[in-house]
Amino acid sequence: MNTFAEQFPIVFQALNVGFLQTLKLFAVTLLGAIPLGLIISFGSMSRFKPLSMLVRVIVWIVRGTPLMLQLLIIFYFPGLVFGKQLWGGGESGRFIASAVAFILNYACYFSEIYRGGIQGVPVGQQEAGQVLGLSKTQIFFRITLMQMIKRIVPPMSNEIITLVKDTSLARIIALQEIIWAGQAFMKGSQGISGAIWPLFFTGVYYLIFSGVLTLLFGWVEKKLSYFKV
Amino acid sequence: MAILEVKNINKSFGRNHVLRGIDFTLEQGEVLSIIGSSGSGKTTLLRCLNSLEFADEGKIIVNGETIFDGSVNKRPSEKELMQKRLHFGLVFQNFNLFPQYSVLDNVTLAPRLLTKDSREQIEREALELLESVGLADKRNNYPCELSGGQQQRVAIARALAMKPNILCFDEPTSALDPELTGEVLKVIRSLADRHMTMIIVTHEMSFAHDVSDEIIFMDGGVIAARGGPAILDNPTSDRLKAFLTSF
Repeated sequence: MNTFAEQFPIVFQALNVGFLQTLKLFAVTLLGAIPLGLIISFGSMSRFKPLSMLVRVIVWIVRGTPLMLQLLIIFYFPGLVFGKQLWGGGESGRFIASAVAFILNYACYFSEIYRGGIQGVPVGQQEAGQVLGLSKTQIFFRITLMQMIKRIVPPMSNEIITLVKDTSLARIIALQEIIWAGQAFMKGSQGISGAIWPLFFTGVYYLIFSGVLTLLFGWVEKKLSYFKV
Repeated sequence: MAILEVKNINKSFGRNHVLRGIDFTLEQGEVLSIIGSSGSGKTTLLRCLNSLEFADEGKIIVNGETIFDGSVNKRPSEKELMQKRLHFGLVFQNFNLFPQYSVLDNVTLAPRLLTKDSREQIEREALELLESVGLADKRNNYPCELSGGQQQRVAIARALAMKPNILCFDEPTSALDPELTGEVLKVIRSLADRHMTMIIVTHEMSFAHDVSDEIIFMDGGVIAARGGPAILDNPTSDRLKAFLTSF
C-alpha cells in the first residue's frame, strides 16, 4: 500500500477513532474540572485558614509540576507501590487514569481563574444584595455568578483551547488518542509504515477543533456584551 | 414611641476607635441628616444600622424590637441577619446596581426572591416605584445605558421595593456630576414629603437644611452637635462652625 490514495481511507478511519478518544478525554475533563474548580476556589478563599492554606499548597503543587509527570505518577503509582491495579487494565484503565490526572490538573487552573473572577466582582455588589435581605446563596447565584462568568470567559477560553492540545500528553501512558493513532503509521500498522503524513494530518484535527472553539467563545463573549462589569 | 433608638454605639477597627458612644432616636416619618467631614464615622454608623458591620457595644432598637445588642456575644444566624436587614434600606454612594439585570429586574429581584407576591403584582409595584422616580420608560434598559443620576434613582426604587421602615442614604450624590445631583435630591425630597423615615449622610448642606427635621454633626466618632436645621444657620458648637465655613 504505497499510494496516498490507498493509504488515506485506512489512516482517516484510524485517526477518527483516535480523535474520538481525544474528544472523550476533552469532554470528561471539562465536565469534571469545571465544577471541581469551583469547589477548589471556594476552598482557597475559605476564611478557615488551615483549609485555605491546604488548598493553596495543593494548587501550587499541581500547577507547579508538569502534567506529564502527574499522568505518569497517577497511572503507575497504585500498581508499583501497592501492587494493585487501581485503574483497571487496558485502554479503559488508561483512560480513567488520564481523566483523573487531567481533571485534577485543570480544576486547579480553573480554580485560580474562578477566584480572580469572584474576587474581581466589587464588594459593593454583595453588599447591595445583603441590604436587600438576600441570603449568601442567593447573592452568589443571582448576583455574583453572572458577573464572574463574564469576567472569566477570556481566560477560560484560553485554558480550554490549551486543553485541546494537552490531551495529547496522555500519549505518554499509551492512551490511544489521535497522536498515538497517527504515530502508529510511522512505526507500522495495517500495512502502512514509515508514513509521516498522518502526523501532519492529526494537526488538521486540532486546528479545526480549536478553530470551532475560538468561534464558540467569541459568540459567548458577544452574548454577554449586553452588560458591563 | 420612636421608630429607631440607637444607644451608645461603639465601634473600632483595630486601634481606630471610629464610633464613640453614638446615641440618637428617630420618630416615624422624620428625616435625619448626618453631616461631618470624611472619617468622622458617618458611613460606619449607617453600615452598623444595616448590619453590614457589627458594633462592639451598644443597642439598636427598631419599632421596639432589639435588632442589635452588643452585650450579646452570639453572632446572629444568616436567617436572623436577613430579617434584621429588612428594617432598613440603603442607597449607596456608587449605586451598586446589578449590571446584568435590566432596570425593572434590579427593582424586582429581591421581592421575587423574598416575598410570596405574584410576579404581576411585584412588577406592577416596581413600575409604580420607577414611575415615582421618573424612570418608568427606562424599565428595559441596562444600568450601563443610564447616567449616574438615573442609576441612583433606580437604586432608590430598588431600596424601596422591599418596603423598609427606614431608608438610609450614604452620600447619595457624592459620585455624581454637579448637574445630576438635582434630580436625585428631588426624588429624596419627594420621599420626605410623603413622610418616609430617612437617614441621610450628605455633604449637601443646603439640601440637608431644607429637607431635615433633625441634623446630627459628627466629628471624631462622636455627635458634636445636634438640633433642627437652624443649627446650620447659627451653629452652637465651634467645631460645627469651623466645619461649615469650609463649604
